[in-house]
Amino acid sequence: MSQGSYNSLSTLGSLEPGTHLCAFHQDEGQLTRVAATFIGQGLAAGDQLLYVTTDEQADAVLRALPAHVHGYDALVAGQLMVSSFADAYGTRKPDDLDTVADGFRAAAEHSRKSGFPGLRVAAQMDGLAPLLGSAEEVIRWERMCTGLQREIGVTSVCLYDVAQLEEEHAALLAREHAGFAPELAETPLASFLAVDEPWGLRIFGEVDISNRDLLHRTLLSRAAVQPQLHVDVAGLTFADVGTLFRLRAVADALPEHGWLSLGRVPAAVRRVMDIAGLDHERLRVES
Amino acid sequence: MTRPATHSGLFYDGPGQYAAEAGGFLREGLERGHRALVMAPLRRVDELRAALGRDADEVTFVEDTIAYAPQWNAYRVLLDFAGSAPGIRSCVVAEQSLAGRAPAELVDYRRLEAAINVVFAEADVDLLCPYDAGSLPAHLLEIGEHTHDAVRADGVRTPNARFDDPLDVLAGLSEVVPPPSGATSIDCSSPVDVASARRLVRSRGAEAGLAPDVVADVALAVTEVLTNALLHGAPPALLHVYQAGATWVCHVHDKGDGPMDPLIGLVPPAEPSDHGYGLWLARQLCAAVDVGTDRSGTHVRLHTRTSTSALAS
Repeated sequence: MSQGSYNSLSTLGSLEPGTHLCAFHQDEGQLTRVAATFIGQGLAAGDQLLYVTTDEQADAVLRALPAHVHGYDALVAGQLMVSSFADAYGTRKPDDLDTVADGFRAAAEHSRKSGFPGLRVAAQMDGLAPLLGSAEEVIRWERMCTGLQREIGVTSVCLYDVAQLEEEHAALLAREHAGFAPELAETPLASFLAVDEPWGLRIFGEVDISNRDLLHRTLLSRAAVQPQLHVDVAGLTFADVGTLFRLRAVADALPEHGWLSLGRVPAAVRRVMDIAGLDHERLRVES
Repeated sequence: MTRPATHSGLFYDGPGQYAAEAGGFLREGLERGHRALVMAPLRRVDELRAALGRDADEVTFVEDTIAYAPQWNAYRVLLDFAGSAPGIRSCVVAEQSLAGRAPAELVDYRRLEAAINVVFAEADVDLLCPYDAGSLPAHLLEIGEHTHDAVRADGVRTPNARFDDPLDVLAGLSEVVPPPSGATSIDCSSPVDVASARRLVRSRGAEAGLAPDVVADVALAVTEVLTNALLHGAPPALLHVYQAGATWVCHVHDKGDGPMDPLIGLVPPAEPSDHGYGLWLARQLCAAVDVGTDRSGTHVRLHTRTSTSALAS
């Protein structure tokens, strides 16, 4: 069981899947910053994001998302989903926590089937105590979530309004989480954004040893749904040889009728391709 | 059975002798059904074309400003040419204008000439490396004198007594040169630091007045060498950046033992691979690459020319 290490989590992009975080906000502005940071880092890493919140707060976060994650596009492509608390958690106290667990598992599975390497959830939790009936029930719920999320690989941040918490309760809640989600984080080196039509991915930024495995798993998740992949690399400003090798490895693993097509290849990336010569019959370069 | 490769020097005095010897070498090859490749300065290409007449149509000519840009690209040109018609022997004339080369490039050129004897030993190729004895200074002629086991003169290939063991030559050129005290140094021991290394290279490269595409090549080379240090070396991995004479140096230093084989990275991996590209790629991107290992660790120095003087023609 997590004792809550309260570590400073500046590397949201590469969080171990299944990490259960929390954050206590003083006001709406702080909530927006924490949520936008968590959601922005998750989207950039290629994961699907579910934000359980109000329409008003969702709009605020969309406006606050960093430009490199193209929040509105993510919404259209289904990489970013917004749900109300009632839709996500119901309006009646669940009969038992197993029902809740099944719901979580189904959501994670649906995310995989939709072509995402992982699911991350940011949720405003202020409705949970009224739903479950007591602060103690909320603690029990959170404890269950820590184990369950680790098991199914769903990372989350539970967003609590401090004004609605007893001080003692807040401390107990914090202890049920792996740490606090940060208000600010460094811009990730690259963003991997899902595209529905044509099926594939858009890459922005630089890919090297620090994030090429993240790209690899994202491409594999997209390819698992449909093995014809359009990868728009117009925004890819740097790629090392290991990155090109991974693109080739994805193409190599595709079935006979599959292909990975690189679109709008910038000169800098073409240069590496020319020198490294990692050609493959299923790795196409659109001219 | 494939005959082993030959690698001969030619020390010519004047265009007449050049055309007779190099032209004769190519004609002999063509008469035996071999393919012919010439990497040479433009005026030598012209002289050979004139000497060969219609036979010149059978020869592939690549100017030295392309074939040797950078110098290790010559290996690639050679590999690609030989690889495009397996089973047919190639005769190759390989010469570049050495006059405009920076000292670091000349050290690397000596490595290139020495290593050819080992790297291409089994290749189906006859190589002739002409040196302009009439105009080159002694220290440049001397490179050719010690790296060819035979010399061509009057149409005859005779053994060269001054030939040195190529691996001894390479070992003698792998001394570690520590970074100067004025170098800018950053710790790049974590994967996320590789992006910082690129940022430093880009800003310092621009300050040094280098063209953006040159800076991009150096940033890529530094990335690959640093990635090697992180994957195969030992921490800390450091990047030092400094000017050293005619070249700007990006110096990657880690605490590991480094590659034991001095021939690593002279040719690309035979099959597409997850690794093995670092040093080879660096040599395709930079003016010169020094690799040295001692008790302080592994040092890879990537040189970029900062003087504007082009290859002297």
